[in-house]
Amino acid sequence: MAEPGAYARRSFVYRELAACGARFRGAGGAAVAVDFGDPEGERRSLARLGLCDLSPLPRIGFRGPAALDWLRAKRVRGLDRDNRADIQRSGALAVRLAPTEALVLGNPAGRGNLCDRLEAALDENPEPGCYKAMRRDGSFHFLLAGAHAADAMATLCGVDLRPLAFPAGSVAQTSVARISTIVIAVALGEVPAFHLLGDSASASYAWSVLVDAMTEFDGVPVGLDAVRHAIGANAGRSAG
Amino acid sequence: MTGEYRLPPAPGERIDRSRTVRFTFEGGEFEGFAGDTIASALAANGVSTLSRSFKYRRRRGILALSDRDANTLVQLPGEPNVPAAVREIEDGMEVLGQNYTGSLERDRGAWIGRFSRFLPVGFYYKAFYRPSGAWQRWEPVFRARAGLGSVDPAAVPGRFDKKYGFYDAVVVGGGPAGLAAAATAAGAGAEVLLVDDQPAPGGSLTYARFGVDRASQEEELRALVAAVEAAPNVEIMTGAVCEGRFADNWLSIVRGRRLHKVRAKTTIVATGAVEQPIVFRGNDLPGTMLPSAAQRLIRHYGVRPGNRAVVATAGRDGYAAALDLLEGGVEVAAVVDLRQHPDPSPEAAAVAERGIGVVAGHTPSEARRRGRAGRVGAVRVSPILDRGRLGKGGETISCDLLCMSAGTMPAAQIACHAGARLVYDRTLSGLRIDRVPDGMFVAGAANGRHGLGPTIADGRRAGRAAAQALGLDPGEAPAAPDDSGRLRNHAWPIFAHPKGKEFVDFDEDLAVRDLTDAVHEGYDDIELTKRYSTVGMGPSQGRYSATNALRVAAAAAGRSLDEAGATTVRPPVSGEKLGVLAGRGLEPVRLTPMHHRHVEAGARTMVAGDWLRPAFYGPEADRDRLVEEEAAHVRSAVGLIDVSTLGGIEIRGPDAAAFLDRMYTFAYRRQPVGRLRYVLMCDAAGTIIDDGVACRLGDGHFYVTATTGGADRVHREMLWHNAQWRLDVDIANVTAAWCGVNIAGPRSRETLARIAPEVDLSTEAFPYLGVREGLVADIPARLLRVGFVGELGYEIHVPAGFGEALWDRLMEAGAADGIRPFGVEAQRLLRLEKGHIIVGQDTDGLTTPMEADMEWAVRRSKPFFVGGRALDVHDRHPATRKLAGFVLSDADAAAPEECCLIIRDGEIAGRVTSAMRSPHLGRVVGLAFLPPGDAEPGKRFEIRRPDGETVSAEVAPLPFYDPGNARQEG
Amino acid sequence: MKILHCPLNGPRNISEFVCGGEVVEMPEAGAATDGEWADYVFGHENARGAVREWWFHVPTAYWFIAERDTGTDEILRTYPASEVFGRRPP
Repeated sequence: MAEPGAYARRSFVYRELAACGARFRGAGGAAVAVDFGDPEGERRSLARLGLCDLSPLPRIGFRGPAALDWLRAKRVRGLDRDNRADIQRSGALAVRLAPTEALVLGNPAGRGNLCDRLEAALDENPEPGCYKAMRRDGSFHFLLAGAHAADAMATLCGVDLRPLAFPAGSVAQTSVARISTIVIAVALGEVPAFHLLGDSASASYAWSVLVDAMTEFDGVPVGLDAVRHAIGANAGRSAG
Repeated sequence: MTGEYRLPPAPGERIDRSRTVRFTFEGGEFEGFAGDTIASALAANGVSTLSRSFKYRRRRGILALSDRDANTLVQLPGEPNVPAAVREIEDGMEVLGQNYTGSLERDRGAWIGRFSRFLPVGFYYKAFYRPSGAWQRWEPVFRARAGLGSVDPAAVPGRFDKKYGFYDAVVVGGGPAGLAAAATAAGAGAEVLLVDDQPAPGGSLTYARFGVDRASQEEELRALVAAVEAAPNVEIMTGAVCEGRFADNWLSIVRGRRLHKVRAKTTIVATGAVEQPIVFRGNDLPGTMLPSAAQRLIRHYGVRPGNRAVVATAGRDGYAAALDLLEGGVEVAAVVDLRQHPDPSPEAAAVAERGIGVVAGHTPSEARRRGRAGRVGAVRVSPILDRGRLGKGGETISCDLLCMSAGTMPAAQIACHAGARLVYDRTLSGLRIDRVPDGMFVAGAANGRHGLGPTIADGRRAGRAAAQALGLDPGEAPAAPDDSGRLRNHAWPIFAHPKGKEFVDFDEDLAVRDLTDAVHEGYDDIELTKRYSTVGMGPSQGRYSATNALRVAAAAAGRSLDEAGATTVRPPVSGEKLGVLAGRGLEPVRLTPMHHRHVEAGARTMVAGDWLRPAFYGPEADRDRLVEEEAAHVRSAVGLIDVSTLGGIEIRGPDAAAFLDRMYTFAYRRQPVGRLRYVLMCDAAGTIIDDGVACRLGDGHFYVTATTGGADRVHREMLWHNAQWRLDVDIANVTAAWCGVNIAGPRSRETLARIAPEVDLSTEAFPYLGVREGLVADIPARLLRVGFVGELGYEIHVPAGFGEALWDRLMEAGAADGIRPFGVEAQRLLRLEKGHIIVGQDTDGLTTPMEADMEWAVRRSKPFFVGGRALDVHDRHPATRKLAGFVLSDADAAAPEECCLIIRDGEIAGRVTSAMRSPHLGRVVGLAFLPPGDAEPGKRFEIRRPDGETVSAEVAPLPFYDPGNARQEG
Repeated sequence: MKILHCPLNGPRNISEFVCGGEVVEMPEAGAATDGEWADYVFGHENARGAVREWWFHVPTAYWFIAERDTGTDEILRTYPASEVFGRRPP
């Protein structure tokens, strides 16, 4: 176990997590809430409705006219349509946000580290027209998972996020509870989930609003272990 | 006792007789059953007066027993204007009537009804127009009487929220037409939402009577509901009111404390029809109601609506209602049919069979009350000669229940919100929905259908049409729909009485003469009649008055009914609580990564744009002292302020410098890498809109700061301009990605050196206006030597995830130097001493760089920059004001508030933009807009405070502190 | 709530957007008279009928152009700004 304060990088909501009884473990230079004292219960909650803070984990953005080509040259798959997410071999997620912007989310299950690899590559060999976007600092990153995830989001977001209208791989850059947010639909095995990325300065606000929206469906904060379990239990499909 | 008017249990009722609910009304204790509404529970106990009317304080009871009854709004603790007809009773509920003084039964204000002839239409417009001052004297008296219910300011709002929904088809109304439409559309594959305001679907099938025998309609109801419930693609939302239809098929549906914002690809309006009263003297007495209200009492709540009834009607519905009353244990004294020659119908035959007298060609001409209780006791029935004219003769029939209806009008609100209009149809003698827009389908009684078969057939037709509009295949069309059932209204159910009180609008106590007077006074367009007389503007929004008001107004104006038209219908359909509109009150708040450290250090926070910032550290009571101490500490030792809220924008690409040259007033092409330069942004009119610094981190890379409140706008402006210029730059708003602090004061270098060993902080290596990248406390940082507060200082910007750690490490490293955090207030004081402006405080919507004395930041020789051309125009016009520094002459005078006026020869000559007591000078310093001729150092002027006192001030050269800038550049 | 079709993000509630006013060609700064410039800055046609307008999708910080009938409030067409502004300035 670790304390968030022991790391220079800290989640934007580590106080909220600690107040819910989070137990932290070091990962990628920061403390991640791995569970809230009830790993079994959290796995069950996640199938119904759970909210997990992935903010301390790696993610990075690339911008500029050459960004997509550069990523393709680095063998990042997909990127052929705006507002579309594609799962990479490592389990990372590559998202094309615009013809000049992409986003890469590391695999929460932690295999490989595409984000760090790409960042190092660009730092070493800068590419004209391809610029880094500090998504790990500029955006919070939460995962809202479970059968009721779309129901809970419907109280906050005006885009139809039900599975039929917004299947895994769909991306909406929209307004959630009045803050600009990137919503990415994924499937953690059988469990539908949304990656939510928004203004990091609004992280506390967004967390509290989401926790409030979950109460209707008995949703609770869950630790990273519950997410990893859901991914791991269905590793074949989620990496597909 | 749950009421002497309670009937034996019957199928279809909505009450649970196993659960008794106790509540109070007007202090009296009552019992009802779970499922009873306030109105039904009181009716079961024989209470017929629920409230007082708005204007004349007349007793009012149940009229329609549906959503928005005209006068049955009641008061609950902390909740005014509760519709008694729909709110279910709860144990311990304390219900009061509304609009009375003293008690509902003995209203001390009821005298006003006797003065009705002195309260003509337009009373308020006319009565206090003269003499001047009369309104001021009378207003409090009338304010106390006006309005509905009372608000408890201490009431705690509950939790309200909103939810978005998406459907192929939304069916508004769950009656026979709506159920049939929903099942048909769903059968074709559409995803359907069925909205109904009642606790259970079925609409009129649950209470009205279609035909002599109710058994077949109950079978029909079961089948219709079963079909909808069995369809997996139909969502049934009961107890929900569709309050409005807005652009692009956006429906607002309120259910309890939740507002559903629903996007419908198609909308089916199956909202039914509303019975229209007959207008005669005393038609508002408690016990006088629409037949449907009596039927609802019987079928939904098991309540006998009276003992002895007269039914006044103009169609077969009235006969059906009479049969229902008989079944509900009510003696029916007579059916009064307004038609001279009623059509024969099975219902009429059944009524005759049961020995009930039918009086054709007659109308109720006056209802009279019995005793003090105020309930109707008898009705005078008179023969109709011709339009609205009564003959002699007739009879008086004693009764305590008078059911009256002259026909119906469609519940057209949702259709009208979408652009449809209500038009008068001569063949129906009533209103009809016309010009229904694409994507909307009107069905059933709302579409003028009458009778069960035609209504259901019309629902199926609408469901098919919606499916086809969705591109779905609804299968083979049924045989031509039964179009026989068309309702005809009585053409003129209005019988003015010499003594008045024949109400057209119960909400607003408007009698026939009020409307004719309004027209005769010149308000002869129906929209004007409405606004002047307030007809249709009360809680029931014209549901029970629209048809008759139109008839009266058109006749008075000498217009035909089809010319007159109906008034515009606007949302909401019923009353909406403000809480429903507010929802959860989502108000985003932005916090810097160091925010909690400020709070832990006792900071008072202030709102700055979307952000919370520390104003100063310590108790509010010590504000002035703390701000001065924090500022003095920066001057003498070292202070630390969180500047994370500053906007941050990365400009990257080969055209970065060219882009900044066009966006900002200064010049950037030759700015060396590793240096920062002030930026000043103007809009196209040459007005200052933002400032900051541009750090050149590479040939094609600038990191530009913006003001706390201006970052989003600056980013947006940049993108907008470059959408046209198409320069090769990437413009990224990184405000939240980077956070920062300013460590300032003579000891700042020592503190920083302890944790930034790899950065050479010497003046030679890192001069004023330099920018460096390096590690601070092992965190990758951008260091900026800026001088906003006028001391040696460094802004340290790091990725936001590291912000709190940076703060912690700097506080630790500075402990030996006595480092102390300072807030926004101290920073404002420090910058004022240095004469730096704050955009938006010391500038306004017209301030040019010349007025702000900032021409040094404008490179006029550039070929183009935003606002440059406008500044050329300004040059050709004489300046009207100039921003200048001042000091108050009296060393002991307190600082004048911002925006205090500068007075010269009794005229306004300028205003103060900033003023604070400078500990350094020992007197108040500030900035002010002055006439250019008065802005020279040494000139004196007067500032007027809000209390009217004036203080003397003198223009002083800027800056007030360290004019040589030796301290910040050291 | 109207729907606006964003060229980048598809149909969205219009509350996600900010209107940036009519698309107006900027006169040549050096050649325009003071009066022409003032008219460019302050004079708005406010015409009835089809008008080209700037719209900004806030969540993606994306400017585009919409053709809207100001009489009926019907949005006729939306497209990227590059359709109109395709060239770099000299």
